[in-house]
Amino acid sequence: MAITRVEVTPKQGDGMRDVRGDVVRRQLMADHGIEVSDVRSISGFLIKSSRLSSDISPRVDDLFSDPIIEDAVTDELLLSSPQYFPNTPDAAITIGFKPGVTDNPGSAAYDGFRTLFPSEEPISDASISTYQTYAFYGLPDGVSAEWLASTLHNNLIQRAVIADATSCLEANWPAIDYPEKPPQTFVPPQPVDLEIADDDLLELSETGLLALNLEEMQTIQGHYRDEAVRTSRAAVGIVENAPTDVELECLAQTWSEHCKHKIFASKIHHIDTETGEDSYIDSIFKTHIMKPTHDMQKEVDWLLSVFHDNSGVIAWDDKWSVCMKAETHNSPSALDPYGGAMTGIVGVNRDILGTGLGARPIANTDVFCFGPPDWEGDLPDNLFHPSRVLRGVHAGVRVGGNESGIPTVNGAIVFDDRYIGKPLVYCGTVGIMPRHLPDGRESHIKTPTAGDIVYMVGGRVGYDGIHGATFSSLELTEESPSSAVQIGDPITQKKMLDMVLEARDAGLITCITDNGAGGLSSSIGEMAEYTNGCEIDLAKVPLKQPGLSAWEILVSESQERMTIAVKASDCDAFESMANLHEVEATPVATFTSSGMFHVKYNDDTVAYLPIEFLHDGVPQLQLESEWSAPHHPLFVPDDVQMDSETGHSSLLLRMLARPNIASKESWVRQYDHEVIAQTAVKPFVGVERDGPGDAGVIAPIHGDPHGLVISCGIAPRYSDLDAGAMAAASIDEAVRNAVCAGVDVDKIAGLDNFCWPDSIDSVKTPDGKFKLAQLVRANRELERVCRAYRLPCVSGKDSMKNDYGSGENKISIPPTLLYSVFGDQPDVRFTATSDFKKAGERIYLVGESKEELGASELAFMLHESDEAAGIGGQVPLLPNPERNISTYRALSTAIQAGLIRTAHDCSEGGVAVAAAEMCIGGRIGAELDIDGTGDSSIWSRLWGESLGRFIIGVQPEHEADFVEWMAGHPLTYLGKVTDAPQLTISDGFDALVVVDVPAMVDAWQNTLDMTGGVS
Amino acid sequence: MSAPRVAVLFGFGINCDHETAAVFDMVGGRSERIHVNHFVEGNRVLEDFDILAVPGGFSFGDHLGSGRLMGNRMRFALREQLHAFVAAGKPIIGICNGFQVLVKTGLLPGPSASNPLPDFVQRASLTLNDSGRYEDRWVTLEFDPNSPCIWTKGIQRIDCPVRHGEGKFVMPSTTDFDALAANHQLAVRYVDPATEVGHGITDEPLQFPLSPNGSMRNIAGVCDSTGLVFGLMPHPEAVYAKWLHPDHTRGSAPGPSSSEALGEWEGEGLQMFRNAVEFVLSKR
Repeated sequence: MAITRVEVTPKQGDGMRDVRGDVVRRQLMADHGIEVSDVRSISGFLIKSSRLSSDISPRVDDLFSDPIIEDAVTDELLLSSPQYFPNTPDAAITIGFKPGVTDNPGSAAYDGFRTLFPSEEPISDASISTYQTYAFYGLPDGVSAEWLASTLHNNLIQRAVIADATSCLEANWPAIDYPEKPPQTFVPPQPVDLEIADDDLLELSETGLLALNLEEMQTIQGHYRDEAVRTSRAAVGIVENAPTDVELECLAQTWSEHCKHKIFASKIHHIDTETGEDSYIDSIFKTHIMKPTHDMQKEVDWLLSVFHDNSGVIAWDDKWSVCMKAETHNSPSALDPYGGAMTGIVGVNRDILGTGLGARPIANTDVFCFGPPDWEGDLPDNLFHPSRVLRGVHAGVRVGGNESGIPTVNGAIVFDDRYIGKPLVYCGTVGIMPRHLPDGRESHIKTPTAGDIVYMVGGRVGYDGIHGATFSSLELTEESPSSAVQIGDPITQKKMLDMVLEARDAGLITCITDNGAGGLSSSIGEMAEYTNGCEIDLAKVPLKQPGLSAWEILVSESQERMTIAVKASDCDAFESMANLHEVEATPVATFTSSGMFHVKYNDDTVAYLPIEFLHDGVPQLQLESEWSAPHHPLFVPDDVQMDSETGHSSLLLRMLARPNIASKESWVRQYDHEVIAQTAVKPFVGVERDGPGDAGVIAPIHGDPHGLVISCGIAPRYSDLDAGAMAAASIDEAVRNAVCAGVDVDKIAGLDNFCWPDSIDSVKTPDGKFKLAQLVRANRELERVCRAYRLPCVSGKDSMKNDYGSGENKISIPPTLLYSVFGDQPDVRFTATSDFKKAGERIYLVGESKEELGASELAFMLHESDEAAGIGGQVPLLPNPERNISTYRALSTAIQAGLIRTAHDCSEGGVAVAAAEMCIGGRIGAELDIDGTGDSSIWSRLWGESLGRFIIGVQPEHEADFVEWMAGHPLTYLGKVTDAPQLTISDGFDALVVVDVPAMVDAWQNTLDMTGGVS
Repeated sequence: MSAPRVAVLFGFGINCDHETAAVFDMVGGRSERIHVNHFVEGNRVLEDFDILAVPGGFSFGDHLGSGRLMGNRMRFALREQLHAFVAAGKPIIGICNGFQVLVKTGLLPGPSASNPLPDFVQRASLTLNDSGRYEDRWVTLEFDPNSPCIWTKGIQRIDCPVRHGEGKFVMPSTTDFDALAANHQLAVRYVDPATEVGHGITDEPLQFPLSPNGSMRNIAGVCDSTGLVFGLMPHPEAVYAKWLHPDHTRGSAPGPSSSEALGEWEGEGLQMFRNAVEFVLSKR
């Protein structure tokens, strides 16, 4: 094996730019205010193959460099070439991957290398490693090369080689070498002695990253004391009286909080100190989520599959069904924002592909919660600055979604100081599948039988991604393992996706699921429940590098893999399809009906667990919950010192600039939101296509305007006062966003994604009872509102350990529910957007403004700036949801009937902000009078966030019909759209707000435009 | 008369194959999504088709430059088939990543008018947007009415989304551009929508975001000297219907007032595909 170095750099010249260098320069400016005169970039390749440099050098322009725009050298460093780099830089930094980290450009380059050298066999240890070098010119004094390197790479997954000013003058350039993986040694499966003291059991769990509690360890201990178990184990030749490491790891993964949702399944003793309630809840999930949905399933014919599959499936029309799933990827995103977020989005895509017999992902949603991007306070050890988390997460989701060809149609970004401790990265995907396959089977039903062959399809198994599930069930510490972090490979996954959907349509698939948390142990283990047994041979599993031990192969969460069952008679057809698509598909297991999860390594049995014990053996947690309302100083707006001249007008400009309200366009526009040619309402709308969209609307069948609405709601601020109100607000906001697009309110399905801080009372979580009570209240409100809205929760997920650190330095996120909905939209030609359309348009408020300023965005803003004493007060409530949904039905059908083209939900910042956003979208003014919009103060009517409200615009010719249509529902005339580019809001004769539209545009757009411009 | 057969390539990260196939079907074509390897391995032959479409996407993740690796696969494995296809006078379109692929195989802008058949020499490139960002945004395009391009006949100005990070069209020298301009191969440019229709085209670089990428001479797409092979960065297939235009809720989405395909809802992008189908039919 020879290693050849090739380096490539953009040509200098008229009209040519070094864009990669420019991006680094602009970001230094945008994030740190550091002005560098020039940054040049070099892309490097280290080619390990049987070819010599003399073979490769003549072909460099065929592969590594583009001769029109790039210069290249072989076996030398460009920086040392006076021809290409005549000036000496002030610093030069090379960033490469650490050994074993996924190098997507490297894999693609090796694929291309084999196109040039077809005789080059796919030798397992031949490959290409890539790196980037940046040369900095005109670096200001005081900016060290070390600091620059730290901003350019993440040392968890990357290496940096640095040349500072002195080294540059001495021509001592940064030369990175090939990242040889350290050899792994196969360790044969070992028995683990569990006949030890309780303390030792706990220590074993902790040191082994098993994340199991004492009772769970004892349950496992008890299993191996069972004589019947011992006898059956003796029969297959596995250690009788103790688990093997393979078994213990497998149980830890399967029983992890991440996989088993033990808190949602727990028995909770709940006390409410305010009402005196003292009661027990036997599983929040079964009581408040599953039961209501199953009740609704009896009443409608469109709920095809709920809870048990990788996503919830609803019938969309006679031919097609649609499904949706949302996941979080918080812990990995904290450690490596880019890789963590990318695996989040491509991972949830696989959930869709693994639904039924395989659904096609057609839309993504991304919702992020971060610390403030302009945070100037201290940062705890090992945490990235929020702006860096934002950039990395955004880039990961962008690359994952865009390269997979799935449009990102909806999302949100929320900011709060406490998300510094743990960012939340919610990734959702919508899928579509034919109701019936060509062979007549219903595609939402898996049909495995004993004897089916189980394939692992897609990527290989590596050392990356070991212990992801158990790791995410622990709090983040300084010692969090780097093997839990991975980088996605969207192209390997896209090839697999193309192939799997073809195999589905050819009727070759009997069962499919993705490999996510817990790896093969979870995927095959879960599928084996259908036939009640399986036999796996781990020695057959293709590896990224030799030497992985049996337990590592079983639990590794290496990405881009599906597990697919195929009838024995279809295996040839399946394998030849995989070959054509250049997708690796390896038979690794067989379904049985033995009742056992039977794992072998070649002929040796290395795990032998009853399916029932594996899946249902975990003991139920018993938890304590105690509610007493938190006390916050009241937000008293009348105490706020107001400038008599500018008053509410200047508040409006400040509110528009709040990160939670400000435009996210510069970020969202970098997502492809239109691939598949179906997006009828885009994330940004209006004359300049930069006004806020409320919901994504797609028409996924080409030529047919039948639509689907996708929207979300999230309101973590309200948790500070009441997590129950937070949950109700999230659901209501999601539904109202969908209503703005003309959804059929009687055919919407929802997804509940809970992200909570640790809620188990313990020494490290002394307020665990309160946090669990927050969870109880949130779920009770979820049930109450969903039942009233007849809104089934078809899928969901929870992430229950969103804390950083301990003791005084502990940071816990605010309890956060993301509620996503997807619903039927009868005809996308009749939908509405938030932008005011033209002068003369009549403006109405739907709903009422109540005295509800507690935990409002305004209260937070004025409290943070010390203008108000607190954020306390009445949080927005939803006392009569039946009445709300009836109003929503009326409004939505008015949109479907073509009466309304302008609708916007009223949420953060209330009527003032909603009206401002509608003016921005239309680049047009409006005159509003909020007199009569509710029996509440001016402050509440202007800034309050009462639920159930919309601002709508109706053209004068439809006004009478619309008012009649809405008879019996709360509707107040506000005013009309004006030619003058100015928003005025008055209360009767008192003018409150007078602001020019261009000023609102600037305020709204500047805060989060962190692009550094285009020059 | 049988419908013209359209091969729509997919595989390795191409991802606009479904909609590209659909738009040909809407205008009387008979499309088939075919994995590149079917042609490479000889299971299928290009000769059986009348039109070839290379859709958008991220073939091979656009690593080593957009369209590069897919371009290489085609340049090395499909050389003869592609040569014969063009020699037979059959139209080819590359959209977005497909355009990048055609440029990197050398099919676009192709050799000189005097010797127009493919020689698979790369003469131009599509490189990173000046902004440094991948973006999805709508642009306005205007077409050279004198272009030999069979795809753009009769189309004057349309709105389209662009969705790319590497759309800046570059060639080594101004004389290269002058030669293409003289042949009217600079078939489509980014223009300022405020200009009068028919007078938007300019060689002076437009400001971002009117030109989303800093393309030299505001080039959005080019054809070869025969006018059969055409590629562009924007996505006409993504505006096959007016309901895909951002202005449809404002009641002002442009497009024909009626069509067989979609009634009053046909979008501006469909005509390009109809042109190719009608071209094939006219040659029979």
